Amino acid sequence: MQLAPTAFLRDWAFGPLAFGMLVGLVMFFAAAGLIMGVRAWAGTEPVAFGPVVLGAYWFGLAGWLLGIGVWSKWAKEWLGLPVDRTMKTGWQRYFDFTTDHKVIGVQYLVTFLSMFLLAGVLAMLMRIEHMSGDQVLFSPAQYNYVMSLHGITMVFVAVAAVIGGFGNYAVPILIGAKDMAYPRLNALSFWLAAAVPVLLAATFFAGGFDAGWTAYAPLSTENSDGQVLFNLAFITLGLSSIAGSINFIVTVIKLRAHGMGFDRLPIFVWAVFAMSLLGFFFTQYIAAAMLMTLLDRVFGMAFFDFTEGGDPLLYQHIFWFYSHPAVYIMGVPGLALALEVISHFSRKPLFAYRWVVGGILGITALSAIVWAHHMFTAGLSTAELFFFITTTEVISIPTGLIFLGALGTIWRGRLWLRTPMLFALAVVFNFLIGGLTGIFLADVFTDIHLQDTFFVVAHFHYTIVGAGIFGLFAGIYYWFPKITGRTYSEHLAQLHFWWTFLSFNLTFLPMFWLGLNGMNRRIAVYPEELEFLNLLVSLGGFSLGASFLVFLYNILKSWIRGPVAEADPWRARTLEWQTSSPPPVENFTEAPRVVSGPYDYGSPSTAHAVFGASTNPDGAG
Amino acid sequence: MAEICHKTSSILTTSSGTTTVIDLTGSEPQAHERKTLLNGRNVVTVFVIWLGLTVLGVFGAYHADIYPIAGNHLASQVDDAFRLLMMLAVPVFTFVVTILVYSMVRFRRKTDADDTPPHTFHSHGGVIWGWLVVTSGLTIAVLIHPGFTGLRELTADRHQDMVVEALAAQWSWNFTFPEHGVKLDKANDLMLPQGTRIRFDVTSRDVVHSLWLPMYRMKIDAVPGRTNHIYLTTGEPISFSEDPNVRVQCAELCGTGHPRMQVRVSIVDQQEFDIWLGGLEPVIVGNE
Amino acid sequence: MSTSTYTAHDSHAINSMGLWLFIVSETALFSAFIFARYYLTGTDQPSELNIGLGYAITAVLLSSSLLAYGAERRIAKGDRRGFLWLTLGTIVLGALFLVGVGLEWREAAHAFAPPDLFGVVFFSLTGLHATHMVTGLIALCFVWLVGWRGGFGATDHWGVTGVVRYWHFVDAVWLTVFPTLYLV
Repeated sequence: MQLAPTAFLRDWAFGPLAFGMLVGLVMFFAAAGLIMGVRAWAGTEPVAFGPVVLGAYWFGLAGWLLGIGVWSKWAKEWLGLPVDRTMKTGWQRYFDFTTDHKVIGVQYLVTFLSMFLLAGVLAMLMRIEHMSGDQVLFSPAQYNYVMSLHGITMVFVAVAAVIGGFGNYAVPILIGAKDMAYPRLNALSFWLAAAVPVLLAATFFAGGFDAGWTAYAPLSTENSDGQVLFNLAFITLGLSSIAGSINFIVTVIKLRAHGMGFDRLPIFVWAVFAMSLLGFFFTQYIAAAMLMTLLDRVFGMAFFDFTEGGDPLLYQHIFWFYSHPAVYIMGVPGLALALEVISHFSRKPLFAYRWVVGGILGITALSAIVWAHHMFTAGLSTAELFFFITTTEVISIPTGLIFLGALGTIWRGRLWLRTPMLFALAVVFNFLIGGLTGIFLADVFTDIHLQDTFFVVAHFHYTIVGAGIFGLFAGIYYWFPKITGRTYSEHLAQLHFWWTFLSFNLTFLPMFWLGLNGMNRRIAVYPEELEFLNLLVSLGGFSLGASFLVFLYNILKSWIRGPVAEADPWRARTLEWQTSSPPPVENFTEAPRVVSGPYDYGSPSTAHAVFGASTNPDGAG
Repeated sequence: MAEICHKTSSILTTSSGTTTVIDLTGSEPQAHERKTLLNGRNVVTVFVIWLGLTVLGVFGAYHADIYPIAGNHLASQVDDAFRLLMMLAVPVFTFVVTILVYSMVRFRRKTDADDTPPHTFHSHGGVIWGWLVVTSGLTIAVLIHPGFTGLRELTADRHQDMVVEALAAQWSWNFTFPEHGVKLDKANDLMLPQGTRIRFDVTSRDVVHSLWLPMYRMKIDAVPGRTNHIYLTTGEPISFSEDPNVRVQCAELCGTGHPRMQVRVSIVDQQEFDIWLGGLEPVIVGNE
Repeated sequence: MSTSTYTAHDSHAINSMGLWLFIVSETALFSAFIFARYYLTGTDQPSELNIGLGYAITAVLLSSSLLAYGAERRIAKGDRRGFLWLTLGTIVLGALFLVGVGLEWREAAHAFAPPDLFGVVFFSLTGLHATHMVTGLIALCFVWLVGWRGGFGATDHWGVTGVVRYWHFVDAVWLTVFPTLYLV
């Protein structure tokens, strides 16, 4: 049963990747051939994109996963065969089926940051198009493809970058665990997610897709073949999210270090935990929506086909039943990461910790019953409008508690205005604008006009980018010394911050006005009267894009030859700073015992945790 | 101030997490152990800045002329709601931003050694409950007005003087005037009589579209297999040539022709409308 | 407040919790399709639906779950022979169920093939369930193979427990899907 040439896999850095691709391609084409053969035998046209790709994809995906290491490091065990327990070292770990959560975290970060930058380039192209009210760069079909690709790529980034990246990297260390509950499943989650950018890139060769990231049926059941790959990508990332969410839930419940009660959980861990509770359940609904679309497209079903009695609104209900919780999955981890940083850099306990946790849990619970506010103009009954306007407005109360936590923490602290802190405070500012403008959209009366305009575009960029992605960058600068063991250039980092922050607001603030004044979203052509402000937005956008060059330069240069970082350069209390930078495999040389809260600044006599088998119950150290 | 802070720090660091007591009066500096969160001078300063910014902001929000042309009374009401929400958002916005910026300036760490704040506090019952009461109160207020009142405004009046059927198709709007038995296929221009209450029956032949009349702040999706209704009362005569928002625009992504799926609208007097209507193609019963 | 220690983890409890979460997650997927059934077709049923066959395969599936339960009990008592036979019985009954579904599909394909709306929900729900059945059967085959090669024992049979629990779950899903399609 020797599927993989072991030496090849073990010794060559790119062996697992190459072997995974090889097995994946072989299985894909074998399955495709088989399906075409069966189709020919059954008397149908053998070459048909939908059925062939839809069927063969799963074999290709299975081959890819088996080849990269699931077989040699995991599945053989199910048959009682010896598994390969070797682990590559150094940079080679990142190209292997590595189970170390820190490696997986970095794999997620680098993958999704790359996708973020590429999708940012697409945004630049869209802004070139918008410099004029007429078509200048793209044909309408090209524009729709670029816009849709930008949208879905960024949605994937927002879903996976913070939770997949920092969730994996930090959560086990923050709770004092050696690794995640299921390290191999964790590696599987990442390599599943790695198929997503490949699928998105492949859409280019399949005619693209033009239904936006929301992929409303029936547009998405009758457009070009690329839509099939879009749906498969969404399902694949969904599978990865479900596996990851289950992993986080079990890890947080079962693997907390001695003394790490739920009342001592760092707020970022709480957020990842709560969002995993959403993710492991609700992600199935996006899988359902995508699956139904595929069934309609490929197998002639009629879920959304009105000519047969199907209903396009069914798609919207199921889609938003996932996608509204999903926008919290995109935003809340970044918010919590900001709170984390704010406490450490204010040198003060997180204010009203329990209430902030309550706020996060309140958002989690309420997010399940607000979905139809995305459908206020879809023709809902008055009763439905009444219900969803109420739930949607009420969600601002738990959200407010997060602001209370942030403000109470900085108030009378000792604010250390380093880059992570600047990004964290920017999260508060951006999310404030995002949240307040959300009220205009929660209110049916004003939303009817604003729905599907640039007002909405501005609003969700303020929440998801302003909170989620700014939180991501707060985390990148905050944990950079821990992850790389090196120090970034503070000057360049602050340059990056101010440049990004100002450009971001220059880009998205005017969009509120544009939407209010008649610019609907997802268009390449718009009234001439709006050209001047669009030009301004475009310039802001280009500036925003350029600011990331500073980031890239700083991060790459510092990673290679930055000054070596200490274990705890921020003098922060939480567990990740109580081990070396970067931490060893399994994180701690001695088991931590948590003896006080993570944010108890101002009490120098107690540490958050002590190490080793101390019997002293007070654990002073 | 700083001296007081340092005196209290020694006391508080050993008992961090103990509940602190509000001192809003700011009366006696001797009450220093208890004054941690709501310290008199900082609170007063922030309050003054906040008040100033809020007055300016509310004034600005009230007078800001940021709205597109309002074609009827309902559109003005929507704008009023928008304005009200802005005026309510301003104090919240200025509150957070004032504390944010004030803290960045006032509570900035000055030296490396200056690492420990003079006060630490985990919580503050009064502030938390106050916060909850205020945010809940604002939420409920906004929910009732303009939330529920607006909803009523939209759904209350179910009568019409005229029906217009709007059939969306990739990528054009087709209008039928059933009471007059005439239709307008692939419309480029649409005329509507002034001061008339119109019910639009909106549906689609292929994918989801959305009928948007920016000057009336009105929008409804055209969902294939369903007929959605909106009611609106046209206002004074105006035409697309005077303002680009006097148009019907498809607002839901529907394919390549989406941005150009628009119809120029003219609101005209009844007489002109009747003449225009007379020139339209009659609907042949049984056709389609 | 319960906390776990750093070193000793109960791997059985950890695996068990993960599986329960997965099962809850899967109910969400089925609930979406069951929702679609009521949303699109209400409680309509075509007269051609073969309820007798439906009852028959339901009985087969329930019996297979009983055998699976027995298989787990056997291995927990160290009775490998009994475990292997009962697992084999589960597999056979599971396969029989799928054959029954296949027969139903043949009838359904004539009577109410998609895009007939009932056909849409009928084929997608039974198809989704059958996909889970196939996964379960493959897992059962693995379990049987490992047991046959001498794996699992009285104290060490998480693989059996997990797969059997999944099998019960798929069974329970059918007990929701069956009334949804045939009885309401």
